[in-house]
Parts: sequence; structure tokens; C-alpha cells
Amino acid sequence: MKAGKFPLVYPTAGFAALLFVLAAMWYAASSQNSAAIYLLLFLLASVFLVSIPHTLTNLTGVTVRVESAKPAFAGDEVFLPVEIMNSSRATRYGIELVLADAGKTRERVDCIPRESAARLTVRFAAHHRGEHKIEKLDLTSCYPLGFVRASKRFVSNQTYLVYPKPAGNSQLPTNRSRFADNWVQQGIGHGDDFAGVRAYVPGESQRHIDWKAVARGQPLMTKEFAAETKGAAYLDFFELRFADVEEKLSQLTLWVIEAERARQPYGLRLPGIEISPALGRMHFHYCLRVLSLFRPDRV
Amino acid sequence: MSASNTRSPVKTDTSIPRRPLLWMAAALLFTLPPFFDSLGPWIPWLFLLSLALKFWMEPRGYRLRSVVLKLLLVATAVTTVFISYGSVRSVEAGISLLVVLMSLKILEAHTAREFRVMVLIGWVLCLCGFFLSQDFATALCLLIAFALLVVALIQFHRGASPGTVWPPVGATCKLLLQALPLVVLFFLLFPRINAGFQFELRPFRSANAGFSDRLSPGSIAALANSSEIAFRAEFPGSSPRPSGPMYWRGVVMWHCNGMEWRAPYGAHGRSSSSSTLDIAGTAGLPVPSTNAKEIQQRITLAPHGARWMFALDRPIKAVPGATLARGDYLSSVQPIRKTRRYEVVSSEFTGGEITAKERAEALEVPASISPAVRDLAHSWAVQNRDPGGVVNSALQFFRTKGFSYSLTPGEYENLEEFLFRRRVGFCEHYAASFATLMRLAGIPARVVVGYLGGEYNDLGDFFLVRQADTHAWCEVWLAEKGWTRVDPTSAVAPGRVSLDLTTFLETSSAAGQMGTRRNALITQLLRSGIFTNVRFIWQTLSYQWDTRLVAFDADVQDVLLTSMGIASRGAVFLIVEILLVAIALLAIYFTWMQLRTRSRVDRVKALYEYFCRKIARLGVRREPCEGPLDFARRAAQSLPNESNRIRQIADTYILLRYARQPAPGMQDRFAKEVNAFGARTKLTR
Repeated sequence: MKAGKFPLVYPTAGFAALLFVLAAMWYAASSQNSAAIYLLLFLLASVFLVSIPHTLTNLTGVTVRVESAKPAFAGDEVFLPVEIMNSSRATRYGIELVLADAGKTRERVDCIPRESAARLTVRFAAHHRGEHKIEKLDLTSCYPLGFVRASKRFVSNQTYLVYPKPAGNSQLPTNRSRFADNWVQQGIGHGDDFAGVRAYVPGESQRHIDWKAVARGQPLMTKEFAAETKGAAYLDFFELRFADVEEKLSQLTLWVIEAERARQPYGLRLPGIEISPALGRMHFHYCLRVLSLFRPDRV
Repeated sequence: MSASNTRSPVKTDTSIPRRPLLWMAAALLFTLPPFFDSLGPWIPWLFLLSLALKFWMEPRGYRLRSVVLKLLLVATAVTTVFISYGSVRSVEAGISLLVVLMSLKILEAHTAREFRVMVLIGWVLCLCGFFLSQDFATALCLLIAFALLVVALIQFHRGASPGTVWPPVGATCKLLLQALPLVVLFFLLFPRINAGFQFELRPFRSANAGFSDRLSPGSIAALANSSEIAFRAEFPGSSPRPSGPMYWRGVVMWHCNGMEWRAPYGAHGRSSSSSTLDIAGTAGLPVPSTNAKEIQQRITLAPHGARWMFALDRPIKAVPGATLARGDYLSSVQPIRKTRRYEVVSSEFTGGEITAKERAEALEVPASISPAVRDLAHSWAVQNRDPGGVVNSALQFFRTKGFSYSLTPGEYENLEEFLFRRRVGFCEHYAASFATLMRLAGIPARVVVGYLGGEYNDLGDFFLVRQADTHAWCEVWLAEKGWTRVDPTSAVAPGRVSLDLTTFLETSSAAGQMGTRRNALITQLLRSGIFTNVRFIWQTLSYQWDTRLVAFDADVQDVLLTSMGIASRGAVFLIVEILLVAIALLAIYFTWMQLRTRSRVDRVKALYEYFCRKIARLGVRREPCEGPLDFARRAAQSLPNESNRIRQIADTYILLRYARQPAPGMQDRFAKEVNAFGARTKLTR
């Protein structure tokens, strides 16, 4: 992850208030010609000035690494795991991580001991479907006094995926695909009905081994189950009557979720893309990914 | 890497964490003492109450949210302050208002941002404390409060980091220590620009500062404990110093009312021109042959709201903006509402002339004086034909008839009670009664109020005269000498004239006069060694604070800057230079902290990365996932000329990294190999 060379320093809102107090002190001191008030004024000003290098130093040796985030549906929250590492030989306090692009989401770590790291999860709202880049991350800190804030920018190539917001009718479409009638799910463990046995492949779940057959002295066989033979549903972009593409995608997303939940094999038909029916997490996420990345202008 | 850390999400409306709030409360308690002294008693108590209430409310989650209630409270507070002070324009009232509003703020505050505001208000309270008092005890409290506020702020920003007491205190100490050179630099050299924006503190400094134009019993004794500065006097150049005790002339009182004297009403307005002419006529005369010293003084006068300006014994000439009033004292045309600096020449010789009108005025006595007093004065006049003899008889009377000097003489009904019965008094009692007696005896007399003595400050080479040095003495008209100073107090308490009042009172209390007021235990404690030592250290520190810090105001700084030869270069230039030095210092701090906390550099790793960069320049870039062996293999394939060298370096690197105990010289050999790698390659290319 690339980092800016030197942290930036900028005043906080508290700085304006501090300036006001300093001005009041100066006014009082000079109009009263009072050395004691001058002492107070200079003390406050000096402590403030000395706090600036402390704030700056509080960020040296601190870097951030963004890990991959799980995809989220638009309208939900993205959980982005982040690791903040402190490679310096001093404890760093009050470090805040600001995601510049995701609505200035900030997350704070109170303390990172020397030469260790802190893990945290940044949560922010996912607004639009698609693949998004986490481009700019700022590590900021205003540690000792809070009148100035030091900020270091990091640039990340990490991306996160936002699936379309599921919306519309949750009733699955009734149309059947061309070969829906004789289509049988061949996956393992994806249905309730016993469909037969085949030879065991090492690595498969032992739960589906036909142990009774083993007891009879036969080789290891795996039982196969098929999903209910309702047939596979083709979720078709073209059959939707909405005018808006996003609305269509939302409907398709909802159907994908419903079909997966109902364990009904589903396929997806989009302009230029056709995904044959299947079931399972891989298929589920693949479909959602396609929906998420769909670009109507490319068709 | 371990992940032992704590985190807390940032919320918009959080409650103020308890730990910073505790620090803050401690800090605020330290800002209170000056308020207890100077403000209405209910104000600090209200402050304490709201602090206690806050700590009761906070863990229970109670909040002051109702806007109506808040407004009601603020309105009540403002009204109460207004009622108890009559106005909100005086400084005490202003500070009271601030303290009261701060109390309400404490009750109300419950967000993170408000905490910062509270800390800033805490600093403003420190400022207010310095307005009310600048003595050492107050200053110590306020500086502790200042530091505790810094601790509170640091603790606040540390959040839930481990460590409750020492880490934030340590961080604060570090910050304060690093700030110290800057503070010294700013304090000594930062120009104290007085841009003429002075606000008038009428009820605060002026009316209360110093004496009034009325000398009534107890009026000076009331000032005896005031350490406020009246003025500062320098004797510029090679001007002679006064030889005897320094009597600083303030105002001359002509109107006698027995124990009470006052200056003539409107003396300033009426006589400003005529009396100047009058006095100028007399002062213009060649001074009689007594070759009296002329002493030049430079006086820096603190604002006191009245018109008189001080000078040693008898000022000869008026200064700009002032006239010489009847009685040879300087009277300003405008009331003195801001610090004023002037040079004046005084004569040690009092002298002067008297007109018939003045003589008549200087003999006026009220009819109310009792026959016994009149008889006493007449008896002296009969015994002595010579006025000087009368004066001596009177002084003898004070010396021998058991009069004593006390700060708390109590109330007197009339002169008779003082002269014949109680016989305990302060300087104003003696001056007033002496002058009255002289007038009764037929000698023109008047009372002078001013200051006596002053404490020398070797840092600024000046005399500091405080309100506690206020003194009253008499002047009598003797035909051969003119107006002559007589200090009846010296007859009663000879030490008072040569010492300043505080020292005098301390010595007399040490002699046991005041010892009776304390009980035996405390006396014993006071006399024990440790306590004496502590008290001595305290006094020394307090003295140092007063003379070195509080006394270092704009004028003393001016002297310092002039002596350093940098005053002439202008304030802006000086400010720029000081800021440059400050920035340089900050840069040094920054570099130092960077070097101290920089991550450890692994030499082997650095060398290997250097090697990788060199190879990258030849066209083979190491992938992040590539181990040293794989990389060496790939690099050797693409750079067949260097393959042996590359393998050699990779092997050494692996040995250094993973061998249980690498050979001692291996690191250096590795460095040599890596360094040689580039040179050879360049040659071969």
C-alpha cells in the first residue's frame, strides 16, 4: 500500500476555540501589563506548539493494510477488515482510520503498542452495486491535545463488491427452461430425494457414504440426492416488464436469493450472458457477481 | 504481531468518559481558591455543587436536556449575579458570571466536543484567577490547574488505553518540560505590545486601588494586607538616591475633622491653573542655601482611578498632563485609568511658602473637638514659645504615654477616646490626631498621604511600592524651615519608618505580640524546625515569584531588551525572530522523537532489498510472493552472466536468515557481496 511521504497537519475545530482563548489571554495580559497572565499565555501557546511534533510523530511508523471484504448487498453495510500496524518503537495513541470515499467513515483505535498491530472492521453503507475500489484511506491522529490533526494518506488497490439491492416480487417465476422437465440436479447433498449411489471420491463428506453397503462388504459408495424435481428456473432479464435496468437487476437478485433458499436450481439469462442452472454457494455468488457487475451500456 | 489493543467506535453523542472527567474536576478544584477569596461566597459553592451533581448524574445516565430548563438556569444565574453585584460590568461580576455559567456547563456537558470546550473554559478560569490575585499561592494553584487540564485532555485523547494515572501525567510532564524553553523564550523576549486597547476596570482596580481622598481611621489599615503594586520607581542614570526613608507624596489633606481628614473638594479643577502659577512662583524661586539634593525619578504608576501621582518628598516641577496642586503634590488632569510612566524631579527639602489664605486654612479646626483635647494642645503652646518645641512636646506625648501601633486598633468615636483612653492606633490615627493637635496649638499643619519605603528589585533595578506601603504623615509650617515633615508614627513605632510594613509586622509578631492569639499547639508547630523550613522556602519562592516573575512586566522587559540591544529593531522583527527560533526548536523535537521511535532497521533485510533493487534495475523484478530461492533461480536464468553471484548472494542471505548460528563475519561478507554486485555488473555491461 502506497503512502504519502509526510503527514499533513491541519487545525481542528478546537484550534479556533484555542485561538480565541489565547487572544483573550493576550488582550488581558497586555491591557493589564501583567506578567503572570503573560506567563499563562505563553505556557498555553508553548504547550500547544510543542504538541504539534507529538501529533506528527504519532503517525510515523504506522501503516495500514486493507484485507478483502465480503460482498454486501446495496443498502446493507460493508464490513471491511483493516489492519493498522505500528512498526515504530513507541506506543501510538488515538489513531483514526478515515475512508475518504465511503462517506468519511471513521474508526478509532485507542492504542497500538510498539511493534504490533491492531485489527478493526470498518463498517460503511453500500450504496450502489458494482465493484468499488477503496482508493484513499487516511490515518489521522490528534493525539496529545486535539488542536491539530495529522493525517497520512494511503492508497489501496483493494476492491469490494456490492450486489444489487434485492427488491420486487419474491414469488419465483413460473416459466420453465427448455430442458427443465428432465433436468436433475447432480450435485451432492443439494437435495432431499435419494437418487442413487456412485463410487466414493476421497475428500467427499463422510456423511453421505453408504455405510450399510460398506457393512455388507461393498466398496465405499456415496449416496446421491437430487433436489425436488420441480425443474430449474430460468431467471430471465428479458421477461421482466420493468423499464429500469436497476429494478430488473434487483428483482433478479431477489429471485436468486429466493431460489437458493428454496433449493431450486436456477439459471440466469442476461443480455450477452447466460448461466446454466445450478445450486450452491459458488453458483449463488457467481450469479450475484454477474448481476453486480452487469453493465447495460456494453450490450 | 500481537493484536493486544483496545478500540472504541467514534460516536457523535457519547457520554464523557469518566477518567478525563475526574482529571478535569481535579483541575477545576485547583482554580477555585482565588474565587473563594474574591467572589461572592455562593459562587464557588455553586461550582462545587454542580461538580458533585455531575458525578452523581453521569454514571446514572441523567442528562440535562430540556432547553427550557437550561435557559431558566442561565437566566437565574445571570440575575443572581446581577443582583449580588449591582451590575455585570465589573470584573468580579464578569468572573462570577463566567464561573456560574461554567458550573451550568459542567452540568450540561455530555459530548466529546463539549469536553474540549470545558477544558478551554478551565484555562479561561485560570486567567480569571490571575485577574483576581497574582500572589504565589494563587499562581501555584492555577499552574497546577493548568497542568491538570492538559492531563485531562491527554487522557481524553488516549481513550481506553491502559494506564490511568502515570501515563497521562508522564506525557503531560514531557510536554511541559519540552515547552519550558519556549515559555522562557517567549516570556523574556516576546514583545509585550500594548496596542492601546485597554479596557477600563473601574470598579476593580481603580476605586479599590490605594487610598481615597478621605483619611478616616482604618482606611489605611485596610490596605495593609494588599500586595497589589501601587507604582514602581527607578532612579535613572547617576541620579542621587534618597538618603533617608523614602516618603512618596500622594495627596495633601487640608480639611480637618478631628480624626478624619480629607483633601479639598475640587482642588484639582479649581486650582489647576492658579495653583500651578502659585506654586510655580514659589518653586521657581532659588532653593534656599541648604543645597538640597534634587532627585530624579522615573515612575510607573498602576492605574488607581484618582488623580494623584506620586513623587518623592516634594516634586519641583509638574509633569506633562499634570499640575502641581496646592500642597505640592502632582495632580493629573485626567483620572489615572491606565498605567502611566513619567519622570519627575523632587527636592529632599520640603520648604515652600505659605499664603495668608493657606495659613488660615491650615489652622482650621472643627468646633466639635472636646475641651480636654484643646487643653492638651494649649498646654504645649503655653510651655513652648517656639513651634519646634511644641512639635517635640507632641511627639514626646506620643512616645511616653503608652501609645501602641496596631493594624487592628478598633473603632474610635472621637479624638479624645484615642488620645486619653485606648491609645492604640495605626499611622492614620497618629497623623490625623497629631495634625489636629498642631492646629489647636496654633501651628499650621496638614496631613500627607502617600507611601513609605518600597522594596528594591535588583533584577530590574527599581523600587516596588505596594498598596501595603501606604502611609500617612504630617507637615507643619515652621517659620524658619517652611513646611516640615513630621512623622508621628515614628515616635510610636520607630521601626516602621525604616522597614516596610510587612517586615515590621512580622518582626513584632515574632517578638510575641501576636503570639497570644494562637493556641500553644500551633505556636509550637510554628516554631518546630520543619515548619520553619517549609515556611522559609515558601517565603523565598513567593518572594522570587513576586520580584522576578510578577515584576517582569512590559517596562522591565523594555529595560532588558534595551540592555541586550534588540529593543530598537522593532517588535515585528523580534516576533519573526522568536518564531523562527521556536520553529527550529520544534523541528529539533520532531527529529529527536522520530529518531527515538523509528522502527528498527534490519541490516540484512535492508541489504537484501538493496540487492533486489539492483537486480530490478537489470530487468528482473522480484514478485511479492517470491521467495529468495525462487527469485534467485529466475534471476540467474535471465542474467546468466551473473548467475553465480546471484546464487551466492541468495545462499548467504538464506544462511543469515535461517541458519541457527550464522558465522560471525557473515554479515560483513554479505554486505561486501551485495555492494560488489552492482559495480561488477556495470563493468560487464
